[in-house]
Formats: sequence, C-alpha cells, structure tokens
Amino acid sequence: MKFVKSMVATALVITLPLGGFIQTAQASMIGVEQMQQASRTSEGEAARARVLEALSRADVVAKLERQGVSPEQAQARVASLSDSDAQLLAQTVDTAPAGGIIGAILLVFFVLLLTDVLGFTKVFPFTRSVR
Amino acid sequence: MRWVVAALLALTLMGCAAPGLKALDGLSGVAPRIELSQTPFYPQEDYQCGPAALATVLNAAGQDTTPEALVGQVFLPARQGSLQIEMLAAVPRHGLVGTRIPPRMDGLLAELSAGNPVLVMQNLGLSWAPSWHYAVAIGYDLAKRELVLRSGPYPRMVMSFNTFERTWARSEHWAMVALPPDRLSATGTESAVVDALVAFQRLAPVADTLRGFETAYARFPDNATLAVGLANSQYAQGNLAAAEQTLRTALLRQPGQAVIANNLANVLLERGAFDEAERLAEPVATHAGPWQEAGRATLDRVRKTRQASSR
Repeated sequence: MKFVKSMVATALVITLPLGGFIQTAQASMIGVEQMQQASRTSEGEAARARVLEALSRADVVAKLERQGVSPEQAQARVASLSDSDAQLLAQTVDTAPAGGIIGAILLVFFVLLLTDVLGFTKVFPFTRSVR
Repeated sequence: MRWVVAALLALTLMGCAAPGLKALDGLSGVAPRIELSQTPFYPQEDYQCGPAALATVLNAAGQDTTPEALVGQVFLPARQGSLQIEMLAAVPRHGLVGTRIPPRMDGLLAELSAGNPVLVMQNLGLSWAPSWHYAVAIGYDLAKRELVLRSGPYPRMVMSFNTFERTWARSEHWAMVALPPDRLSATGTESAVVDALVAFQRLAPVADTLRGFETAYARFPDNATLAVGLANSQYAQGNLAAAEQTLRTALLRQPGQAVIANNLANVLLERGAFDEAERLAEPVATHAGPWQEAGRATLDRVRKTRQASSR
C-alpha cells in the first residue's frame, strides 16, 4: 500500500505542472476553463475555503508531505475545482468522522485529481485498468 | 414498542403524494409510456451499484465497457461506494459527455421520452440512516404512474412514481445522462451543459470537443463560453478562418465581451490583421478585471509581431 501511495504521489507531482502547460499553450488565448473559473459564486468560494482550511492544518500538511504532495500543489488543485466539485468535497470533509478527515481528503483528493486530470487511477491497488 | 415503530413506519410510507410529483400535473410533450428496452443490464456485485449503473448508461450510448473495468474509476472501497463527482468525471474518459439534469420528475421523464436512459442516485434508507444507491431509469408509464429501472440485481424493477420520488428526493434529486458529443440532453440547463463540456474538453480529442461545442452552441447561441469553446477547438485544429468566423459572429451578439474580443485579436494577429487585432485587444488590456492580464499579453504580442514583420 505504501509503495502504491508513493507511486500515486509521484504521478501527481509529474502531472500537476503538466496540466498547466496543456491549458495555456498560448498564454494570450483564454480557455473555457478560465471562463468558468471567473464565473464562480460565493457558495463555491466558501466551499473552497473550507477545503483549503482543512488542507492547511498541520497534521494534514504533514501527511500530504509524507505522500510526496506539496501543500502548494494541493492548494492549487483545490483552487481550480469547479463550484459544484468544491461543494461536494467540502461536504465530504465536513461529514467524515474526526479521525477520518485526513483519509477522506487524501482519498477524494487523489481520486478527483486522477480521474479528472489524466485518468490514471490504475495505480491504485484496488483498480483493474481499463486501458 | 414494536407496534409503535410499525405504526410510525406505516405513516411514513403511506403519507400523501410526494411533493415532487406536482411537476407532473399538466405534463405535456412526452410519450404516455416508454421503455428503453435495448438498454443493457449489468447485475451489481457487492456494493458496486455505481460501476454497474455507469456501465449501463455508457453502453447504452455506444461505449463498450464493463462494471469490472469501471470499479477502479468510481469505487472507493473504504466507503463501499462511489461519489457523484467521480461518476460524472468518469464519463468523459469514455468519449461521452456527462450532463446533470434538472432535479425534477418531469425532466426525468422528458429525457426518457427522448430516448436517454437516466442514471439516478437514490437513498433507499431513511434520511438519518442512509442507504445510497445508483440505478438507471429506463422507462415509465404515465397512466399507471410507474417508473421502470435497471437497479441492483433487478433487470426490470417497477417502482411507483411516489416511492421513487421519495427515494430520489433524499439524494437531492441527483441524476445525469451520458451522451455522445453531437447529442444534447433534452433538459440540461445552459449552465449544466457548459459544465459538462468544460469537463469533456479536458480529456476528449479536439474533433469530439469541437462537435460538442458546436451542438451546444447551436442551442444556446448567446453563451460566450460555448462560443469560445467552439472557436478554440477550431483554432486547435488549425482552422483559423472558422475560428475567426465563430468569434466575429459571437462578438456581434455580445459587443465588448472581453474574452471573445481577446481571442479574436489573437486569431486576427495570426492572420496578419494587426490593426484590427490591436483595436480589439486594447480595451481588454486597459479594463481592470479577470481578463486584463491576458489582454495585455495579447496586445504585447500584437505589437511585437507587427514590429518584427515591418522590419
């Protein structure tokens, strides 16, 4: 499990910056994702703030770092979530039992990240790959 | 004690018609009865209703996949379940657009009437003791007020509108359809369609993205995001003339829209129309707001390119 987690983390570190480049091949052209981010609501902002708050707790930061994910990367990822995704994630953070918050954040965070950035979930042990 | 519980249960179950069914009064424009019997059936295993339901809608839309293949994409073992986010996020990976539909019974029936199976989330337990479940609605009978679902181990579960509405309401009426990019959902709102396509274009090949934006823009011709999505796909394919045409038309509908103006300036620059590009980019670069930085970058690029070409 540990090995797999570190593999996931490595994949994240590699793919996070990549996503940025793909989006802005031509910096002066504006993409639809940026347009959508500009039309965010205050509820979405509140949800992102709740997740970011959970992400800034010392124990969560320590755990993220142990997984090889820098808190900055995690925060950047949360900042780019759509309103509805952020609200769902915030709910998960709110409803997870006290001890499970970190687990919930990490798990949801990994799955989210992987599903929507690359479709890379096959590195999880419980996965049978599609492709 | 036991009879008290039984009496309370009876009360809850027999209560009057679910409030959500009001939407069906005076419903028109849908078939009186429909069953999408070609929809495949995948019996769920263990707690894996998410992968089974997802495989059902993906296959119904022509994508070849199995619940087993989807387990890793949408199933969290620790929670013995799938999150709605993942269910939606998994759809573009199979070349389809996943669109949430409005949380209303009449919308659900309209999708079925249009031939689209609907993936729904239900709470089969009680609000304080939830038992979450994903199923696929495949038909209904208005006269009998019944819905037909592929659900769990049941290939054809018939549920009264009333019971279904109560179980569906507890998931806040979560429902989605998965369709090829050139087909729009019957009921998806403008913002749901835009959300779906923004998620789609992250993973889809540019030809599919183009078709998706084209189809949606035809229905919502005043939406700037859809116009920009279409033009950017045309641009990404190297079709500058088409991108210019799309953005010009959009700018006529929404004069001064900063993103459209900025992107049109970039396209015109690459087509050598420096003066017009500069005229378009200038107000974007000087107006404080989310697009000022991009506007400045555009203006900078126009001026540098012009200088380089006049040398």
